Amino acid sequence: MLIEAIDLHRIYRMGENEVHALRGVSFSIERGEFVSIIGPSGSGKSTLMHIMGCLDRPTSGSYILDGTPIEGLDDKRLSRLRNRKVGFVFQSFNLIQQLNVVENVEVPLVYMEMDRHERRERALQMLEAVGLGHRSQHKPNELSGGENQRVAIARALVTDPDLILADEPTGNLDTKTGQEIMELLKRLHEQGKTLIMVTHDLEKAKWSSRFIHMKDGKILHDFRDTDGADIVGMFYESTAEQEAQ
Amino acid sequence: MAHKMRSLLTTLGVIFGVAAVIAMLSIGEGAKRDALEQIRLLGTNNIRINAVKLTGDKAREAESKYSDGLSYKDGLLIRSNVPSVRAVTPIRFVDAPVMKGNKESAARVIGTDHLYTEVTNFSVDDGRFITPLDISEAKRVCVIGSKVKRELFGFRSPIGHRIRIGEEWFRVVGVMETKRLREGKASIIKIRDINRDIYIPITTALKRFRDEEKPFFVNEIAVQVKSAELVEPTARIIRRLLKRTHREVQDYEIIIPAELLAQSRRTQRVFNIVMGSIAAISLLVGGIGIMNIMLASVTERTKEIGIRRALGATEQDILGQFLNETVLISATGGIIGIVLGVVMAKVINIFAGWETVIALYSVLVSFGISAMVGIIFGIYPARKAAQMDPIAALRFE
Ligand SMILES: Nc1ncnc2c1ncn2[C@@H]1O[C@H](COP(=O)(O)OP(=O)(O)OP(=O)(O)O)[C@@H](O)[C@H]1O
Ligand SMILES: [Mg+2]
Repeated sequence: MLIEAIDLHRIYRMGENEVHALRGVSFSIERGEFVSIIGPSGSGKSTLMHIMGCLDRPTSGSYILDGTPIEGLDDKRLSRLRNRKVGFVFQSFNLIQQLNVVENVEVPLVYMEMDRHERRERALQMLEAVGLGHRSQHKPNELSGGENQRVAIARALVTDPDLILADEPTGNLDTKTGQEIMELLKRLHEQGKTLIMVTHDLEKAKWSSRFIHMKDGKILHDFRDTDGADIVGMFYESTAEQEAQ
Repeated sequence: MAHKMRSLLTTLGVIFGVAAVIAMLSIGEGAKRDALEQIRLLGTNNIRINAVKLTGDKAREAESKYSDGLSYKDGLLIRSNVPSVRAVTPIRFVDAPVMKGNKESAARVIGTDHLYTEVTNFSVDDGRFITPLDISEAKRVCVIGSKVKRELFGFRSPIGHRIRIGEEWFRVVGVMETKRLREGKASIIKIRDINRDIYIPITTALKRFRDEEKPFFVNEIAVQVKSAELVEPTARIIRRLLKRTHREVQDYEIIIPAELLAQSRRTQRVFNIVMGSIAAISLLVGGIGIMNIMLASVTERTKEIGIRRALGATEQDILGQFLNETVLISATGGIIGIVLGVVMAKVINIFAGWETVIALYSVLVSFGISAMVGIIFGIYPARKAAQMDPIAALRFE
């Protein structure tokens, strides 16, 4: 088991106000799965991704990544875990604009304390793998959205993590480019990576073999072995069922 | 580029602060070397007694007490009454032009006795020095400094030739060795070029260039003490002795070369306080400026901080990154400041005439100070960056 989440709660406190972003979420994910998470805006998907990526801690409940409970880990250990085990892919790419493409891909390796030479070599290799070897010296703003996202994927993969967390990876891309990115992600899954993807688009969820439906900080339904199944039908059924209650 | 320009402007404080530190240290170092030079020339085992010209009320007081300044007799008194003294020699400046034919030399004529060479550790290179016989018979002979010789005689031997001092003719009997002096201009403590001295017997000086009011007046008395440890107690005895014979009139000063260093430090203290304050204020202003620009930079780069944290940067990593940048900015300012300070020291040397010396340690100290400013004023922005909530930082637009 790569991920185990038990009764996760996350409460954001802002002065007087409290936002209950996660209200008791439990699930587990095996190594090599491709899971998509779907749900309306504000349902806690990103919050959950951040906790799974060790970027945030649950207010209560326990989270175990690859056998390591993150409770009680200090900043240094948590950061190390995130650096080695997790690769993030964001909707808005989140590349550092001042750095060129290859330098961006190198950033996670800097925090692995890899030496300069090896770092550059690895980063270039990764860029080749996503088909951008020829753009290594460009700045992110000189590249298209799809290319930016490929760079971000190369960056997520460069430390060879077990887990790829993609939060609406195609949200800022047109249909065709989105399709290409999905193909790239699918390929990673086929190569054995565990992939968790947040999406608003049921069509994209069809690429995965499991999908989790969230609402109001809770999991409504966890559909397994959905290959070839009628996801759209299942989704509406799940929604209707919830509304009926 | 605009960003770089802004950083440079904010480092002006550090630049001036460091420049002030460099200039201050270079003046201090210059004065110290002057003092050391003075000590070397005077000799560590020596005590110098200088005549002091009194003015106004003090002069009238001296007159009423019948003290007629430092005199040859004071020297004789010291020699016969202080057992720890090895030798005493008088020095009397004779204010008269030195001529050979129609060539005039900018030499300084000094009346002294045969012990001068021994006391000052300054010896004759050619011919002989003044002898006891010259003294007792008040002969018109002279021993000239190496520069005087070159000026008046070129490469010919001057021994046996005559030169005119004032209205009198003097026979040259010797040439002094060349005393190497540090190059440089006048300094806080004046050093005269002893290679331009001409020595004549003290008795001749007193007789031929007689001062009717003070016939035995001498400008300086050099006292050689038997050993370095005896310098302090001997100076005390001499002080007491002179106080009595001069009837408490302070028309002389006693200089102990070993104390010159402390003295030059004292005279510099006010200057150091002023320069130090300027440096401190500049560094403070510069430091605050740098802190400001770094705070702005932290805000501007919130997103980048979030990204780096997501990719595995620890709080420590972020802290280090921003601290590095601040130190880099202030150290760059420091290097520019060092260059400016060196230029300032040179300018002070040329226009104020003070000796300035840039020592390696002062460069290192200044650089260290600029780096320290970076660390002190960088720590707050860097901590702010490090303690940012990574998720809030990532959502920042
Ligand atoms: N840092 C934060 N501080 C305060 N409230 C927050 C913070 N992050 C998220 N929230 C709130 O928590 C809830 C869940 O947010 P989350 O970003 O996880 O939703 P989401 O499912 O990812 O939505 P979307 O589909 O719009 O991205 C929302 O109500 C949001 O306003
Ligand atoms: Mg979200």
